[in-house]
Amino acid sequence: MEFFVQQLLNGLAVGGIYALVALGYTMVYGVLKLINFAHGDLFAVGAYLGLTLLVSCHLGQTLPPFFAVLLVFVLVALMVALVGYLLERVAYRPLRGAGRLSAVVSALGASIFFENALMLIYGARVFVYPDFLRPDFTVTLFGYQIPGMRLLVIAVSVVLMIALQIFMLRTKVGAAMRAVAIDQGAARLMGINVNRIISLVFLIGPGLGGAAGILVGIYYGQIDFLMGWSYGLKAFTAAILGGIGNIPGAMVGGLLLGVVEAMASAYFAVAWKDAVAFFVLILILIVRPTGFLCERTADKL
Amino acid sequence: MKKFSTAALALTLALALCGTSLAADFKLGLMCPQTGKWASEGMDMKNVVMLLVDNVNKQGGINGQKIELIIEDDAGDPRSAALAAQKLASSEVTAVIGTYGSAVTEASQNIYDESEIVQIATGSTSIRLTEKGLRYFFRTCPRDDAQGLAAAAVIKKKGFKNIALVHDNSSYAKGLAEETRDALKGSGVNIVFYDALTPGERDYTATLTKMKAANPDFIFFTGYYPETGMLLRQKKEMGWNVPMMGGDAANHADLVKIAGPDAAAGYFFLSPPLPQDMDTEAAKAFLADFKATYKSLPVSVWGVMAGDAFVAIEAALKAGKTTSADIADFLHNAKDLPAITGTMGFDKKGDRVGDFYRVYVVDKTGAFKLEPKN
Repeated sequence: MEFFVQQLLNGLAVGGIYALVALGYTMVYGVLKLINFAHGDLFAVGAYLGLTLLVSCHLGQTLPPFFAVLLVFVLVALMVALVGYLLERVAYRPLRGAGRLSAVVSALGASIFFENALMLIYGARVFVYPDFLRPDFTVTLFGYQIPGMRLLVIAVSVVLMIALQIFMLRTKVGAAMRAVAIDQGAARLMGINVNRIISLVFLIGPGLGGAAGILVGIYYGQIDFLMGWSYGLKAFTAAILGGIGNIPGAMVGGLLLGVVEAMASAYFAVAWKDAVAFFVLILILIVRPTGFLCERTADKL
Repeated sequence: MKKFSTAALALTLALALCGTSLAADFKLGLMCPQTGKWASEGMDMKNVVMLLVDNVNKQGGINGQKIELIIEDDAGDPRSAALAAQKLASSEVTAVIGTYGSAVTEASQNIYDESEIVQIATGSTSIRLTEKGLRYFFRTCPRDDAQGLAAAAVIKKKGFKNIALVHDNSSYAKGLAEETRDALKGSGVNIVFYDALTPGERDYTATLTKMKAANPDFIFFTGYYPETGMLLRQKKEMGWNVPMMGGDAANHADLVKIAGPDAAAGYFFLSPPLPQDMDTEAAKAFLADFKATYKSLPVSVWGVMAGDAFVAIEAALKAGKTTSADIADFLHNAKDLPAITGTMGFDKKGDRVGDFYRVYVVDKTGAFKLEPKN
């Protein structure tokens, strides 16, 4: 039983990060029906920018760690948001009328571009976040020792997910986003500036991705230029598992994928972890092709 | 300019050779990569062998016979190696030292064997080179499967009984894990956990939790340093204090940065010794000599292996073996030759016998310290 609970917690912590990255995929898909394959790489860009600010700009030394991390989170989220905005202007907007396949190919190209840009700018070796930034405390919950950082990762994902959901459901801009998601033409006729809404989506999604990159950097310590691809693939899977386009779905999908992976390692074989996880994904999609929480769309006639 | 300097060099060499080749010198070939991607290794090989040959000649040679060194460039490329081998064969050398890359050595093997020239390769670790039954082929470097034997020996020596063996599915790490497992068969060491993790991930807590449930007293992860660093870090985070070992792919300074000095302290790994860490008397004397002559140390242990090859030939000459057949027979039966990297012998296949892999321990400051032999 203790083994099971321990593995469950391991899975939830990994899943928390999948969920955080999946939010970006699902937001963009919800509005544009575009799978932004470059999202994982924006996440990696965030991790590298965070490291640059902390180490090269000496933010880590001059400020108390807590404020340094907070400041870096805000700055990097803003910078990656800007990169996301530019990405949309350069790679996606010119192709908006050209059909979905062209946009997907453009997204794959952008992903390769970011990976190689990171490699050329920073080099191909592994980079390491400074160790002193990592909060090193343990929480005892129901008799289980849990590293505090794991709870923090899950908490950050949940808080961001709820904030995003409130933004989408309770604000005017959120309503405009949902309107654009349902029908761009009709939204334009209602006086919504569609281009501006889409730009906003590309500010929020990548911004969250950048923040997730720093979280991974601080927690796991190690970043490399290919991390965007592996996390992106898992997060994309999580988004589909939960029902792509649906924000709580990304959360559910991420946590579920993390837990399934942990259980596959625990009760099957570590080497077969991914195979089992994707087998489960296929089973779920056969039963519920739209994912766990179905995307709610207006019926189009 | 380059052509001119090569010509000038050739001319000086030719003049120098004319001066010394009055007595019937022992003709020794050296085939090494002087150009191409491995040129820095080749430079070391050449410097090492030239230094040793000079020392012998200064002392009047061996049994009155001086050594004439003929150097050919293999460019780190199999085709150039075949040409270099033919040139050396037509210069009628008795023995050849070299070369570095396995594929390059392989291209020259048969040429030397058919010409009945002893060849001692220095950096070619591919297993099949000595599986062909060539009478004249030897090597001073270990085979690719030697590390598994070394790992098993260390595990047995340190007295671990229930071990966890983990690899990352790469052909190198998987091979090392399998060879270690085979070498431990019937030794009383139980393998309580055997699995592969996915390289490139960040979170190995699920793997570690499962491993912990199997209750091993020792972990051997055969993969590379990024995953090793994550394992050490997360093992520490779990509060699990179990000794862990790695193979030579863990030998990277970033390992300690990834794991953190606290988590890395006490971790140890197998690796060929770095030139500056070699602690035999012969090695210390040789390195001091090398430094005085070239103002730097060899970049890796592979260049020093060329020196070991020369020691083998020197020993054969001292025993009065001057024909290639005699030298080959002598080397096949040689034991405990005082080579630079440690004692050396050769088996029937021509593989080096004797330990080569050493244990490095990460100390409290995060530095790699060579564990003394005992």
